[in-house]
Amino acid sequence: MEDFFTNNSVCVSVEAPAENLVQEIAYDGQEVFQLPLTLSENLTKQAHKIDWIIREDDENDDDTLSATVTTEKDVEEESKKADFQTSSWPWDSVRNKLRSALTEVCVLADVLVIAKDKRYMVLDPVQQEQPDQRQLAQLFSKKRGLTAAANILLHGAERLKISQSDTARAKSNQDFHLELLRLRQSWTLKKIGNSILGDLSYKSAGSRFYQTGIFEVTKSEDPNLGLSTETTSENQPKQSMIKVTIPTELGGTSYIQVTIQKDQDILCTTNLNLLHTSLIHSDHSLDANPWTSKLEAAQNVLFCKELFSQLAREAVQLQAAIPHMVVGNQITASLFPGIQLSIHFQSSYSAGVNKRQLVSNSTSLVAKVDHNYILEHSLHQLLRQVHLNNVGQPVPHPSSAPLGPTKRRRLAGPHAYDRDELLLMTKNESILEQIIRQGQHVVLRLRTMFVIDSIAREIRDPLIISHWNVLNSPTLSCVKIIIMTHGYDTLQRTALVVHVGEKTLKCVCRDGRVLHMSYEPQELRDLILCQISQHQINAVQSLARFLGWHVASSSAHLGLGPVEPLGNASSCILSSPSGNRILSVRCGPQAAQPQVYLSTYPRHDTVKNKVLKDMRWEQLNTRYEEVRLEKIEGRNFLSRMELLMASLTCRPPMSWE
Amino acid sequence: MASNQNPISAIDMLTSALRSNIIPNQEYLLQGSVIDSSAEVLHNRLRGLCDAAETGPETFHDHEMCFSLKASSPGGTPQQQQSFLLRVRRALDHPEYPWQLRYLGQPELGEKNQPTVLRSCIDIACTPNVVEFLSELGCRIEFEYVLKGYLFRKGRMKVTMSKIFRMGQAKSPDSLEAMTGSYLVELSLLAPSGQDAVADEIKVFAEQLRPLVHLEKIDYRRLQSYS
Repeated sequence: MEDFFTNNSVCVSVEAPAENLVQEIAYDGQEVFQLPLTLSENLTKQAHKIDWIIREDDENDDDTLSATVTTEKDVEEESKKADFQTSSWPWDSVRNKLRSALTEVCVLADVLVIAKDKRYMVLDPVQQEQPDQRQLAQLFSKKRGLTAAANILLHGAERLKISQSDTARAKSNQDFHLELLRLRQSWTLKKIGNSILGDLSYKSAGSRFYQTGIFEVTKSEDPNLGLSTETTSENQPKQSMIKVTIPTELGGTSYIQVTIQKDQDILCTTNLNLLHTSLIHSDHSLDANPWTSKLEAAQNVLFCKELFSQLAREAVQLQAAIPHMVVGNQITASLFPGIQLSIHFQSSYSAGVNKRQLVSNSTSLVAKVDHNYILEHSLHQLLRQVHLNNVGQPVPHPSSAPLGPTKRRRLAGPHAYDRDELLLMTKNESILEQIIRQGQHVVLRLRTMFVIDSIAREIRDPLIISHWNVLNSPTLSCVKIIIMTHGYDTLQRTALVVHVGEKTLKCVCRDGRVLHMSYEPQELRDLILCQISQHQINAVQSLARFLGWHVASSSAHLGLGPVEPLGNASSCILSSPSGNRILSVRCGPQAAQPQVYLSTYPRHDTVKNKVLKDMRWEQLNTRYEEVRLEKIEGRNFLSRMELLMASLTCRPPMSWE
Repeated sequence: MASNQNPISAIDMLTSALRSNIIPNQEYLLQGSVIDSSAEVLHNRLRGLCDAAETGPETFHDHEMCFSLKASSPGGTPQQQQSFLLRVRRALDHPEYPWQLRYLGQPELGEKNQPTVLRSCIDIACTPNVVEFLSELGCRIEFEYVLKGYLFRKGRMKVTMSKIFRMGQAKSPDSLEAMTGSYLVELSLLAPSGQDAVADEIKVFAEQLRPLVHLEKIDYRRLQSYS
């Protein structure tokens, strides 16, 4: 069989199938053929099969390259020859194109080689000009991006701010409540509806004044103000979270001025101002709470108003010998003839500020020294006492007894009080009466002081020492006057006590006598002068005894000699130890110095007398002769008397001339 | 002639005063009790509410004797005989104060909406020999007791919080024996008749003391019928 095949070999030609490729077979078995390729399509199909890259990889060697190209071309040509045998040189245009492409590729390769070396050529990027449109768009986009970022930042900032203000508000609320708590600790507050009202009147303390002292507490509007002031200075008070609104009639400041006038001369003045004292005392609390000062000022205004209206009402009601006058904001009452007590109510709203300056200036000149706080304190006390009496009702005992009556009224029935006692019980001394009494006492005390001081200044020889009691009542004070001689204070002291009342003086002398005197200062002056003269005589007697002299006689009220304008002169007669010298001392209240007379014996003229031969007639005293004390050395009367008596004692009787 | 007119004019004045209703002879009263253990709480509450808080509460220690006078009408049965009670009270801690003779009328409970008990009340201060005087009049001592406690004041109102002690046989204040383990709380106000508005004032104050103490209108007749 093999042979057969070998022998009968058939030539098989390999060629492309004549028929076209089946593209698809329909369901009924019909075949759809592809259209036969055109020449150009076939060429491109073939050309796709050529691997151009392989050829380019081997381009280092031109020969090989060209060889391969030629071989390739040959292959192509052969294949093309086989395909397109009809064209005489149909690949001519293709070859030309390939060649030119090759040339370009070679040039490119050379250029790359050179460029790779970087010895001869450097490749630089070419600056391409940006188009304007593109820049603008970039700008827009950048802008958009920035605005978006800014929005985010702003949003975040807003949120931070909100949260911060929230905490600030919460903090301020907390501060407000804390401060309200502090306010509540010292002032009466209550909540009515949505508002917080406080009461600064003295009603809870017993005041029955018609005017209400209601103030409103609100939250301060501007909390940032406090922060700013806090940073600026620490001295400034911190802005409060609480705003206090007081009624307008309680605004400003007011005070009550008490003046004692004598024919337009101001003897004594007192300014009653609660605020002033409170400012001094409570500085620290003021710093902490700014509303304190405002409320205290308003309370002060209210207090002054109440006090003045009370005084004015009493001034009208009181039936005085000289009627009290109430004119405008002034009450005038007479204390003594020619001396008036005037009470001014002045407030910063009634244009009294300038006047106040004037008054305070004049008083600072006239009566700065005389300023005392007693009247001020009394006015405080008196109204507060009234308040206290209003509040402090006595408690009934036993517990079933009705509320209200005092203990004395309870006792009135069982003890069968009569009408006078009951009337006495109803008598209630008003504030004005009490302040008038105190004013009278102030005047009388000032007068007494003046009298004692002026006498002490005028009379130097016996020293006059006055001791004022520190503790005294508003209407009674006490002074102890001691009269003594310097250097002889253990020898003789004359003491007297003067009780200064409201209209009268009571003087208790050392011997137990009690003298009542009127408010006229001359009476006290006369008394002290009399006491001085008696003191001198008593002191001389004590000195005489001390020196061994005898007191022959003494009289506090001498009926001899010139009549004294007031009181009586006092005198004593002293005789020396041997009896031959007799001193007579006379001291009148008006005399500046005591008068001293000396008498001696034996008489010089008895020697010539032939009639009286008896020796005893020589014992008669001679006439009294006045001793000129001012010629004797010594700092005061007693020292001179001591010197005189000593000299009279030691000298022999005959040698004295 | 003039001496004869004086007592007449005094009586006229008294009657005219009575007519014009200026004599406080009506007592508005609420009562309650608080047990000893919680008395201190009520005490603090009263101190806070009442006047004169700064001076502190006033204590009292009273001795009360109740005298009865039998109005012996010849034809009446013992039930019809009305006994007439008079109370004499003295302050043991303040012997210098006068004794008080007190007449209390029958308490009027009134309607349901009337806030307080209302009773007429006459107080007279007198000397210690009032006991002798009443005995001479034919009064017989019914009972006596000692009250010890605190007295508060709120405006016109009087609040007492007291403990009742039985009078010992020795009649000395030292031998005291407490009747109960609680305090009697009384809220009273004396006013002239016709001033019923004050009853509301009392009611408001009594409300403020709730629930520490319930001050109510106490009906004695019902209490007596229970016992």
